[in-house]
Amino acid sequence: MLPNRSRLSVLVFLLPPLLLYGAAVLFPIMQSLFLSFFSWNGISDMEFVGLANYVRMLTGDDIFWRSFFNALGYLAICLVLQLGGALLVASLLTSMRRGRELIKTLYLLPAVISTVAIAFLFARIYSIEPAGLLNQLLHWIGLGFLERPWLSDINTVLAAVSAPEGWRFTGLYMLIIYAALLSVPQELEEAARLDGASRWQLFTKIRFPHIMPVWITTMIMATTYGLRGFDIPYLMTNGGPGQSSELLTTYMYKTAFTSTDFGYASTIAVFIVVECLVAVGLILFMLKRKADA
Amino acid sequence: MTATAAPATSAITAPAPSPSDNQPPLRRRRNPSLHGTLSKVIIALIVIVQVYPLAWLFITSLRTELDFATGDPFALPKAITFDNYARAFETGNLGMNILNSFIVTMGANLLIVLLGMMAAYAIQVLGFRFSRFVRGLFLIGIIVPVQIALVPLFIDYAAINLLDTYPSMIIPLAGFALPMSIYLFCSFFEYIPRETYEAASLDGAGPYRIFGLITLPLSVNTVVTVVLVNSIFIWNDFIFANTFVLSEELKTIPLGLQNYIGAMGKTDWTATFAAVCITITPLLLVFLVLNKAMIQGLESGGTKG
Repeated sequence: MLPNRSRLSVLVFLLPPLLLYGAAVLFPIMQSLFLSFFSWNGISDMEFVGLANYVRMLTGDDIFWRSFFNALGYLAICLVLQLGGALLVASLLTSMRRGRELIKTLYLLPAVISTVAIAFLFARIYSIEPAGLLNQLLHWIGLGFLERPWLSDINTVLAAVSAPEGWRFTGLYMLIIYAALLSVPQELEEAARLDGASRWQLFTKIRFPHIMPVWITTMIMATTYGLRGFDIPYLMTNGGPGQSSELLTTYMYKTAFTSTDFGYASTIAVFIVVECLVAVGLILFMLKRKADA
Repeated sequence: MTATAAPATSAITAPAPSPSDNQPPLRRRRNPSLHGTLSKVIIALIVIVQVYPLAWLFITSLRTELDFATGDPFALPKAITFDNYARAFETGNLGMNILNSFIVTMGANLLIVLLGMMAAYAIQVLGFRFSRFVRGLFLIGIIVPVQIALVPLFIDYAAINLLDTYPSMIIPLAGFALPMSIYLFCSFFEYIPRETYEAASLDGAGPYRIFGLITLPLSVNTVVTVVLVNSIFIWNDFIFANTFVLSEELKTIPLGLQNYIGAMGKTDWTATFAAVCITITPLLLVFLVLNKAMIQGLESGGTKG
């Protein structure tokens, strides 16, 4: 604590950020919670319905559950591409002598592109008429029977809208994991090497445990970002065809701004927040159990 | 910043070429270059996957429409044309979109940096009784999804006539980015030695002068980090702009690009790609020029967790 500070000076510094944060984040959370107990279309009078929205969501809404499981699938694909890809490249990169900076830059490039541009780009990559990059590539390598309109095939659409999101941020997580890998003490690695540890042992016994805290951070980041994913599915398919690529976020958005059912949309929004908190809690819980064991 | 350790580790982690005699022969020693070659191939493949689509986007923006509709997508264009760029400028309001994105990015960044620094200063340097609680309150915001704020803000904006204005985008963009900014500034302020402040206090400087004369000038690097990282997300924001902005004159780049999708389902793809190329150029240039600072910022943001 500074000796010469006054109570007033603390307020002067703290109040403006608290006001912005309150107006943009805290107050809206309270408002959503409040609205989730009402039925309201924005025009007529608000009607208190108690837990009816929650009951409807959890027991009577097939689209909600469909979106929930789609969102889990979307999350799984994003996590594998982002964290798996990031860990693979970061590990390989530490053994390279030259060109690391260039590769880091190139790898991060997609993160700079807006989601709208990415949605356009991937719409053409998946297209079948004229043949997009993916279908053309499959044709060339003799897998022509797999060619399909990826975005209108209900079996592939969810993977097709998830992959761009995974692709976009792999570089970001790679950077973070790479920085962590560089901080693994060299003496440890060298000692293990002298004892005859294989590459795989070196990785599982020394490197990975050492980067565990950073791995948890990236996992929390990737999970919460994955659960709030919205732009690319909304722009590419708007949840379709049918509900095959509907996520909780797109469903909530449409409920709010297409059906103007503000009460029910708020209920779904509250669920999304709870889902994020539970996910983070689960990750930390698993970490703690592992540390205790 | 751990990145500085890079040159030192490369010598150690690279496969050792000289096998020692008294050790049992291990698999990796038998063929030391196999692993190296394999990792290079994998890295090259993944880099192609990351970069080729963007190169393709640029190449396509130079194709003629006929070439695009009938040709092999991997082939180089038969002829290079800049007509797509001319049509891109005719169709949309690219200049205005870029200006709007610029205004929103600047406004939000100003709030994020200034308010983030102030909050961190109050929490970390001044200190007060509930500082841990307030810090926790802010940090919760890192994991709160932005979707929770859409309906409430839409209603509130409508009530106070703030829909369809610059602030309607800037407020939530800044508000949701504030926690991470506070976190980064707090971590940085921890490194400023207490003696610096105590010496200044003894010289009679109050909290405002210390903020302006010591904390602010020392934080330049962190400010750069915070601005660069946030700019990527703010420049490309779609969800807030799409929800709160309706009029053509306020549309930012992501919304402007949507105008290129034809109403009748027929889209002028080559012109659209030309427009995409134009709009990603400003941020791309900043990124390529400052990528060292940006990469360091992203790395430190994650590893300090």
